[in-house]
Amino acid sequence: MTHSVTKQRAAGRKRLLAEMAVIFLVAAGFGIAWNHQLLMNAWSGKTAVSPPAPAAPAGESPIPLPLGLQQVKEFFDRNEAIIIDARNRKDFTDGHIRGAISLPVGEAEGKLASLRKRVPVTAMVVAYCNGYSCHDSMDLANRLIAAGWRQVFVFEGGFPEWRDAGYPVAKGE
Amino acid sequence: MATVRINPHVVVRLVLGGVFLYAGFTKIADPTAFAGNIAAYRILPYFGNYLLAAVLPWLEALCGLLLIVDYRSKAAASLVVLLTVVFMVALTSAIVRGFDIDCGCFSKTGEKTSTWTALGRDAVLLAVAIYCTRGKKQRDS
Repeated sequence: MTHSVTKQRAAGRKRLLAEMAVIFLVAAGFGIAWNHQLLMNAWSGKTAVSPPAPAAPAGESPIPLPLGLQQVKEFFDRNEAIIIDARNRKDFTDGHIRGAISLPVGEAEGKLASLRKRVPVTAMVVAYCNGYSCHDSMDLANRLIAAGWRQVFVFEGGFPEWRDAGYPVAKGE
Repeated sequence: MATVRINPHVVVRLVLGGVFLYAGFTKIADPTAFAGNIAAYRILPYFGNYLLAAVLPWLEALCGLLLIVDYRSKAAASLVVLLTVVFMVALTSAIVRGFDIDCGCFSKTGEKTSTWTALGRDAVLLAVAIYCTRGKKQRDS
Protein backbone atom coordinates (compact mmCIF):
# COMPACT_ATOMS: atom_id res chain seq x y z
CA MET A 1 0.00 0.00 0.00
CA THR A 2 2.76 2.42 1.10
CA HIS A 3 4.84 1.28 -1.83
CA SER A 4 2.03 2.08 -4.24
CA VAL A 5 1.55 5.57 -2.72
CA THR A 6 5.29 6.24 -3.05
CA LYS A 7 5.16 5.05 -6.64
CA GLN A 8 2.19 7.32 -7.37
CA ARG A 9 4.00 10.32 -5.84
CA ALA A 10 7.12 9.62 -7.88
CA ALA A 11 5.02 9.39 -11.03
CA GLY A 12 3.28 12.66 -10.09
CA ARG A 13 6.60 14.40 -9.60
CA LYS A 14 7.86 13.05 -12.89
CA ARG A 15 4.75 14.31 -14.67
CA LEU A 16 5.07 17.72 -13.03
CA LEU A 17 8.70 18.02 -14.12
CA ALA A 18 7.76 16.94 -17.64
CA GLU A 19 5.01 19.57 -17.78
CA MET A 20 7.42 22.25 -16.52
CA ALA A 21 9.93 21.22 -19.17
CA VAL A 22 7.30 21.41 -21.91
CA ILE A 23 6.16 24.87 -20.76
CA PHE A 24 9.77 26.06 -20.71
CA LEU A 25 10.50 24.65 -24.17
CA VAL A 26 7.34 26.17 -25.67
CA ALA A 27 8.18 29.57 -24.17
CA ALA A 28 11.81 29.29 -25.31
CA GLY A 29 10.67 28.34 -28.81
CA PHE A 30 8.32 31.32 -29.07
CA GLY A 31 10.90 33.68 -27.57
CA ILE A 32 13.70 32.59 -29.87
CA ALA A 33 11.47 32.58 -32.96
CA TRP A 34 10.02 36.01 -32.13
CA ASN A 35 13.46 37.53 -31.49
CA HIS A 36 15.53 35.56 -33.99
CA GLN A 37 16.84 38.65 -35.79
CA LEU A 38 17.82 40.31 -32.55
CA LEU A 39 19.60 37.14 -31.39
CA MET A 40 21.39 36.69 -34.71
CA ASN A 41 22.66 40.27 -34.54
CA ALA A 42 23.78 39.82 -30.95
CA TRP A 43 25.48 36.52 -31.78
CA SER A 44 27.40 38.03 -34.68
CA GLY A 45 28.58 40.87 -32.46
CA LYS A 46 26.44 43.50 -34.11
CA THR A 47 24.37 45.77 -31.98
CA ALA A 48 20.80 44.65 -31.84
CA VAL A 49 19.07 47.87 -32.65
CA SER A 50 21.39 49.23 -35.29
CA PRO A 51 21.34 48.79 -39.03
CA PRO A 52 24.31 46.86 -40.49
CA ALA A 53 27.57 48.53 -39.60
CA PRO A 54 29.62 50.06 -42.39
CA ALA A 55 32.44 47.95 -43.76
CA ALA A 56 34.92 50.77 -43.36
CA PRO A 57 34.70 54.24 -41.92
CA ALA A 58 35.17 55.98 -45.21
CA GLY A 59 34.35 59.60 -45.74
CA GLU A 60 32.33 61.92 -43.59
CA SER A 61 29.33 60.88 -41.57
CA PRO A 62 26.38 63.26 -41.50
CA ILE A 63 24.73 61.10 -38.84
CA PRO A 64 26.47 58.99 -36.20
CA LEU A 65 27.08 55.57 -37.68
CA PRO A 66 26.94 52.44 -35.58
CA LEU A 67 30.04 50.30 -35.18
CA GLY A 68 30.32 46.66 -34.12
CA LEU A 69 32.65 45.34 -31.44
CA GLN A 70 35.29 44.03 -33.83
CA GLN A 71 35.48 47.30 -35.74
CA VAL A 72 35.94 49.28 -32.56
CA LYS A 73 38.64 46.80 -31.49
CA GLU A 74 40.42 47.26 -34.80
CA PHE A 75 40.35 51.05 -34.38
CA PHE A 76 41.59 50.60 -30.82
CA ASP A 77 44.45 48.30 -31.84
CA ARG A 78 45.54 50.60 -34.65
CA ASN A 79 45.01 53.69 -32.53
CA GLU A 80 42.90 55.11 -35.34
CA ALA A 81 40.07 56.62 -33.37
CA ILE A 82 39.51 58.71 -30.27
CA ILE A 83 37.16 56.79 -27.99
CA ILE A 84 34.83 58.90 -25.88
CA ASP A 85 32.88 57.63 -22.87
CA ALA A 86 29.47 59.34 -22.64
CA ARG A 87 28.54 57.86 -19.26
CA ASN A 88 28.62 59.66 -15.94
CA ARG A 89 31.86 60.12 -13.98
CA LYS A 90 31.18 57.32 -11.52
CA ASP A 91 30.58 54.75 -14.25
CA PHE A 92 33.75 55.93 -15.95
CA THR A 93 35.77 55.65 -12.75
CA ASP A 94 34.37 52.16 -12.08
CA GLY A 95 35.58 50.96 -15.46
CA HIS A 96 36.02 52.18 -19.02
CA ILE A 97 37.63 51.28 -22.32
CA ARG A 98 41.35 51.83 -21.83
CA GLY A 99 42.44 55.16 -23.21
CA ALA A 100 38.90 56.53 -23.48
CA ILE A 101 38.16 60.17 -22.74
CA SER A 102 35.35 60.86 -20.28
CA LEU A 103 32.72 63.28 -21.57
CA PRO A 104 29.39 62.73 -19.81
CA VAL A 105 26.62 63.78 -22.16
CA GLY A 106 25.17 66.08 -19.50
CA GLU A 107 28.42 68.05 -19.34
CA ALA A 108 29.07 68.05 -23.08
CA GLU A 109 27.91 71.59 -23.87
CA GLY A 110 30.40 73.21 -21.53
CA LYS A 111 33.31 70.98 -22.46
CA LEU A 112 33.20 70.83 -26.24
CA ALA A 113 35.56 73.80 -26.53
CA SER A 114 38.25 72.11 -24.43
CA LEU A 115 37.65 68.84 -26.27
CA ARG A 116 38.31 70.62 -29.57
CA LYS A 117 41.79 71.53 -28.30
CA ARG A 118 42.56 67.87 -27.56
CA VAL A 119 40.74 66.20 -30.45
CA PRO A 120 40.84 67.76 -33.93
CA VAL A 121 37.52 67.86 -35.77
CA THR A 122 39.05 65.75 -38.54
CA ALA A 123 39.75 62.89 -36.11
CA MET A 124 37.68 59.75 -36.10
CA VAL A 125 35.62 59.66 -32.92
CA VAL A 126 33.77 56.73 -31.36
CA ALA A 127 31.26 57.38 -28.59
CA TYR A 128 29.95 54.70 -26.29
CA CYS A 129 27.91 54.32 -23.12
CA ASN A 130 26.31 51.32 -21.39
CA GLY A 131 25.10 49.68 -24.59
CA TYR A 132 21.70 48.16 -25.20
CA SER A 133 19.05 50.75 -24.42
CA CYS A 134 21.49 53.49 -23.42
CA HIS A 135 21.13 56.52 -25.68
CA ASP A 136 23.82 58.78 -24.21
CA SER A 137 26.39 57.76 -26.83
CA MET A 138 24.00 58.64 -29.65
CA ASP A 139 23.09 61.95 -27.99
CA LEU A 140 26.75 62.81 -27.52
CA ALA A 141 27.60 61.78 -31.08
CA ASN A 142 24.89 64.10 -32.42
CA ARG A 143 26.30 66.97 -30.36
CA LEU A 144 29.79 66.26 -31.63
CA ILE A 145 28.57 66.36 -35.23
CA ALA A 146 26.70 69.59 -34.55
CA ALA A 147 29.91 71.01 -33.05
CA GLY A 148 31.91 70.23 -36.18
CA TRP A 149 33.36 66.73 -35.88
CA ARG A 150 32.91 64.97 -39.18
CA GLN A 151 33.63 61.30 -38.53
CA VAL A 152 31.58 60.31 -35.55
CA PHE A 153 30.60 56.73 -34.75
CA VAL A 154 28.61 55.09 -32.02
CA PHE A 155 29.62 51.81 -30.43
CA GLU A 156 26.16 50.75 -29.31
CA GLY A 157 27.28 47.54 -27.60
CA GLY A 158 29.12 49.93 -25.30
CA PHE A 159 31.18 49.15 -22.25
CA PRO A 160 29.30 45.90 -21.29
CA GLU A 161 30.07 44.29 -24.63
CA TRP A 162 33.69 45.47 -24.58
CA ARG A 163 34.27 44.27 -21.02
CA ASP A 164 32.54 40.91 -21.61
CA ALA A 165 34.75 40.33 -24.64
CA GLY A 166 37.77 40.60 -22.33
CA TYR A 167 39.21 43.63 -24.12
CA PRO A 168 41.42 46.17 -22.29
CA VAL A 169 39.67 48.21 -19.63
CA ALA A 170 40.91 50.66 -17.04
CA LYS A 171 39.63 52.08 -13.80
CA GLY A 172 39.89 55.51 -12.24
CA GLU A 173 40.13 58.93 -13.86
CA MET B 1 -30.77 34.99 -1.98
CA ALA B 2 -27.82 32.94 -3.18
CA THR B 3 -24.50 33.73 -1.56
CA VAL B 4 -21.38 33.82 -3.67
CA ARG B 5 -18.42 32.07 -2.07
CA ILE B 6 -15.08 33.31 -3.21
CA ASN B 7 -12.42 30.64 -3.39
CA PRO B 8 -9.19 32.28 -2.12
CA HIS B 9 -7.06 29.87 -4.11
CA VAL B 10 -8.70 30.98 -7.36
CA VAL B 11 -8.28 34.65 -6.50
CA VAL B 12 -4.61 34.21 -5.60
CA ARG B 13 -3.98 32.17 -8.74
CA LEU B 14 -5.64 34.81 -10.94
CA VAL B 15 -3.66 37.63 -9.30
CA LEU B 16 -0.36 35.77 -9.64
CA GLY B 17 -1.20 34.88 -13.23
CA GLY B 18 -2.10 38.50 -13.99
CA VAL B 19 1.15 39.80 -12.52
CA PHE B 20 3.28 37.41 -14.56
CA LEU B 21 1.26 37.89 -17.75
CA TYR B 22 1.69 41.67 -17.41
CA ALA B 23 5.39 41.37 -16.54
CA GLY B 24 5.95 39.17 -19.58
CA PHE B 25 4.08 41.37 -22.04
CA THR B 26 5.81 44.60 -21.01
CA LYS B 27 9.16 42.96 -21.69
CA ILE B 28 8.19 41.16 -24.90
CA ALA B 29 7.48 44.60 -26.35
CA ASP B 30 11.07 45.80 -25.83
CA PRO B 31 13.58 42.94 -25.51
CA THR B 32 16.56 45.21 -26.13
CA ALA B 33 15.74 47.38 -23.14
CA PHE B 34 15.23 44.27 -21.05
CA ALA B 35 18.61 42.92 -22.20
CA GLY B 36 20.06 46.17 -20.90
CA ASN B 37 18.37 45.62 -17.53
CA ILE B 38 19.78 42.08 -17.36
CA ALA B 39 23.23 43.32 -18.38
CA ALA B 40 23.20 45.74 -15.46
CA TYR B 41 23.39 42.73 -13.12
CA ARG B 42 26.74 41.81 -14.72
CA ILE B 43 26.10 38.08 -14.38
CA LEU B 44 25.79 36.86 -17.96
CA PRO B 45 28.02 37.42 -21.00
CA TYR B 46 26.87 39.72 -23.80
CA PHE B 47 24.90 37.17 -25.83
CA GLY B 48 23.49 35.55 -22.67
CA ASN B 49 21.76 38.83 -21.81
CA TYR B 50 20.00 38.85 -25.16
CA LEU B 51 19.09 35.16 -25.03
CA LEU B 52 17.56 35.53 -21.59
CA ALA B 53 15.78 38.73 -22.66
CA ALA B 54 14.30 36.82 -25.60
CA VAL B 55 13.09 33.79 -23.63
CA LEU B 56 12.26 34.96 -20.09
CA PRO B 57 9.35 37.31 -20.93
CA TRP B 58 7.65 34.55 -22.95
CA LEU B 59 8.10 32.13 -20.07
CA GLU B 60 6.59 34.65 -17.65
CA ALA B 61 3.68 35.38 -19.96
CA LEU B 62 2.99 31.70 -20.66
CA CYS B 63 3.08 30.82 -16.95
CA GLY B 64 0.75 33.76 -16.24
CA LEU B 65 -1.66 32.66 -18.94
CA LEU B 66 -1.71 29.04 -17.73
CA LEU B 67 -2.37 30.20 -14.17
CA ILE B 68 -5.26 32.37 -15.31
CA VAL B 69 -6.93 29.68 -17.42
CA ASP B 70 -6.07 27.01 -14.80
CA TYR B 71 -4.48 24.66 -17.30
CA ARG B 72 -1.37 22.86 -16.01
CA SER B 73 -1.43 25.52 -13.32
CA LYS B 74 0.56 23.51 -10.80
CA ALA B 75 3.42 23.17 -13.27
CA ALA B 76 3.11 26.89 -14.11
CA ALA B 77 3.09 27.84 -10.42
CA SER B 78 6.14 25.61 -9.82
CA LEU B 79 7.96 27.38 -12.64
CA VAL B 80 6.99 30.73 -11.12
CA VAL B 81 8.48 29.58 -7.81
CA LEU B 82 11.68 28.62 -9.61
CA LEU B 83 11.83 31.90 -11.55
CA THR B 84 11.19 33.98 -8.44
CA VAL B 85 13.98 32.20 -6.55
CA VAL B 86 16.35 32.92 -9.46
CA PHE B 87 15.25 36.60 -9.48
CA MET B 88 15.88 36.84 -5.73
CA VAL B 89 19.34 35.30 -6.05
CA ALA B 90 20.19 37.80 -8.83
CA LEU B 91 18.86 40.74 -6.81
CA THR B 92 20.76 39.62 -3.72
CA SER B 93 23.98 39.36 -5.72
CA ALA B 94 23.40 42.91 -7.03
CA ILE B 95 22.85 44.20 -3.49
CA VAL B 96 25.93 42.37 -2.18
CA ARG B 97 28.06 43.86 -4.97
CA GLY B 98 26.68 47.34 -4.25
CA PHE B 99 24.97 47.89 -7.62
CA ASP B 100 22.36 50.62 -7.71
CA ILE B 101 20.33 49.33 -10.65
CA ASP B 102 16.76 49.08 -11.86
CA CYS B 103 15.47 45.58 -11.14
CA GLY B 104 14.03 45.24 -14.67
CA CYS B 105 10.99 43.45 -13.27
CA PHE B 106 8.46 45.43 -15.28
CA SER B 107 10.00 47.20 -18.24
CA LYS B 108 9.07 50.78 -19.06
CA THR B 109 6.71 51.34 -16.18
CA GLY B 110 8.18 54.65 -15.19
CA GLU B 111 10.29 55.04 -12.09
CA LYS B 112 13.26 52.88 -11.28
CA THR B 113 12.50 50.10 -8.79
CA SER B 114 15.27 49.61 -6.24
CA THR B 115 16.74 46.16 -5.68
CA TRP B 116 15.51 46.12 -2.07
CA THR B 117 11.93 46.93 -3.11
CA ALA B 118 12.10 44.28 -5.82
CA LEU B 119 13.47 41.73 -3.37
CA GLY B 120 10.58 42.38 -0.97
CA ARG B 121 8.07 42.12 -3.81
CA ASP B 122 9.63 38.87 -4.99
CA ALA B 123 9.39 37.44 -1.47
CA VAL B 124 5.64 38.10 -1.52
CA LEU B 125 5.31 36.61 -5.02
CA LEU B 126 7.30 33.56 -3.89
CA ALA B 127 4.94 32.98 -0.97
CA VAL B 128 1.92 33.40 -3.26
CA ALA B 129 3.38 31.02 -5.87
CA ILE B 130 4.15 28.38 -3.23
CA TYR B 131 0.56 28.73 -1.99
CA CYS B 132 -0.66 28.18 -5.55
CA THR B 133 1.34 24.97 -5.96
CA ARG B 134 0.09 23.62 -2.65
CA GLY B 135 -3.50 24.68 -3.12
CA LYS B 136 -3.71 22.90 -6.43
CA LYS B 137 -2.11 19.79 -4.95
CA GLN B 138 -4.62 19.69 -2.11
CA ARG B 139 -7.50 20.08 -4.53
CA ASP B 140 -6.18 17.28 -6.71
CA SER B 141 -5.83 14.82 -3.85
